[in-house]
Amino acid sequence: MSKLDRALYEIHQMDILADRDQWLNRIHPLVKLIVTASFLAVTLSFHKYNFTGLLRMGVYPITLFILGDVSFSDALKRFRIVLPLVCFVGLFNPVFDRQPVTAFGSFVVTAGMVSMATLMLKGVYSVLAAYLLIASTSIEKICYALRLIHIPAVFVTQILLTYRYISLLLEEAGRITDAYALRAPNQKGIHFKVWGSLAGQLLLRSMDRADAVYQSMVLRGYRGEFYYGAKTVFRTKDIAYLIIWSVLFLLLKII
Amino acid sequence: MNRIQIHLEHVNYSYNASHPVLKDITFSAQEHDAIGLIGANGAGKTTLLKLLVGLNLNYEGTIRIDHTLVEKSALPALREKIGYVFQDSDSQLFMSTVKEDVAFAPRNYRLSEDEVNRRVEHALKSIQIEHLKNRQIYTLSGGEKKLVSIATILSMTPDIILMDEPTIALDPGNRRRLIHILNGFDHLKIIASHDLDMILDTCSRVILMSEGQIIRDGDAKEILSDKELLEKHGLELPFCMQGNSSL
Repeated sequence: MSKLDRALYEIHQMDILADRDQWLNRIHPLVKLIVTASFLAVTLSFHKYNFTGLLRMGVYPITLFILGDVSFSDALKRFRIVLPLVCFVGLFNPVFDRQPVTAFGSFVVTAGMVSMATLMLKGVYSVLAAYLLIASTSIEKICYALRLIHIPAVFVTQILLTYRYISLLLEEAGRITDAYALRAPNQKGIHFKVWGSLAGQLLLRSMDRADAVYQSMVLRGYRGEFYYGAKTVFRTKDIAYLIIWSVLFLLLKII
Repeated sequence: MNRIQIHLEHVNYSYNASHPVLKDITFSAQEHDAIGLIGANGAGKTTLLKLLVGLNLNYEGTIRIDHTLVEKSALPALREKIGYVFQDSDSQLFMSTVKEDVAFAPRNYRLSEDEVNRRVEHALKSIQIEHLKNRQIYTLSGGEKKLVSIATILSMTPDIILMDEPTIALDPGNRRRLIHILNGFDHLKIIASHDLDMILDTCSRVILMSEGQIIRDGDAKEILSDKELLEKHGLELPFCMQGNSSL
């Protein structure tokens, strides 16, 4: 499987995950959106030296990974490129902030090390929280939730269509690179001399496909706003989910 | 009785002034007509279909659908009456699941969710693909995608169905199934295709186009058995008539 096919496969796998009939998937999308946003807000509000406090916030992703039956190892595989970048954020803190905080034998822990670890953990938590949201909620439902809180339709539609067009772009890129590889069998990768023309082809073809999809939409009554089906009602367990996590986040923050 | 009509009068269309794509197109179609639009590549079949649904508006002449002129202000109402099946199903299907895609049009028409569900069920049932309802679009085969594409327009309950190369890339089984489904439709149908056997099986009238012009408009059997006419315009007799060209 080529890298492009793999990327497309991963997108489809996320769609399948979000489409499962699990208790977490059945929670109201707006509730999940609010809980995720609350988690991010509380997580990011921890002081840069409060590493142990922040560590406790791990209860949220751990609980959802276990109860929501979402594979943690798959998540790590999917984020193998993003997570190192996230961790890179606080890498220079130990250099600039050398004030000792504690020591384990001869090993001195500096404030810079603590703040680096805190920043990294915040990044990892944020990525995992976002992953858990999209692994349990389809893009249509997330957009529906965004509309419920009156995010302008133009922005929400952009999010939805961008997500859909990523697949089109990858499919076109896959076709172009396959056609190239079949006619350049002894070559590894794509020669830099044809990067320009292939990128141009990709742009033109993607625009054509996007135009055809748009035509299909307008011919079926699209007028600039997506409609997301029946209004999902809030049930007792949605409210309970919201209250439990909100109270827990609050407790974890103030303890 | 509601008589849905398509009426084109002296329609000309070009992407640029030096290269006319359609030249002086005039024809009418009535409710329940089944018309095959045939012609070699580049004859203007797809362009003509796109003019009918208002995807290209800067044409010369007159196009009326059900007595309404095809112009920008009339498009929302007109498009509710017309279902257009694209040649490439991948361009037609853009939602995540079959159900969501088939429900797309009725939801845009702001129907109640009960009515949307009823239409989705009916559209899927009418082409016998209820089992695909919850499938992800990307998991469908080419034939299944084509059938789902048809379901997406049936849920609009259109009066007119336009199809661009519906049998392209279909295996013989799915092709036969599609012909059976098309023959079950009572709508005004215009089917653009190179598959002349399918046209013969589904259409009673044929419009032969060549270089943007209508060459012949008449009885399907008569035109499709005219070897000389077809060959002159880049086509061949349908397979079922080859070896029996005297028909």
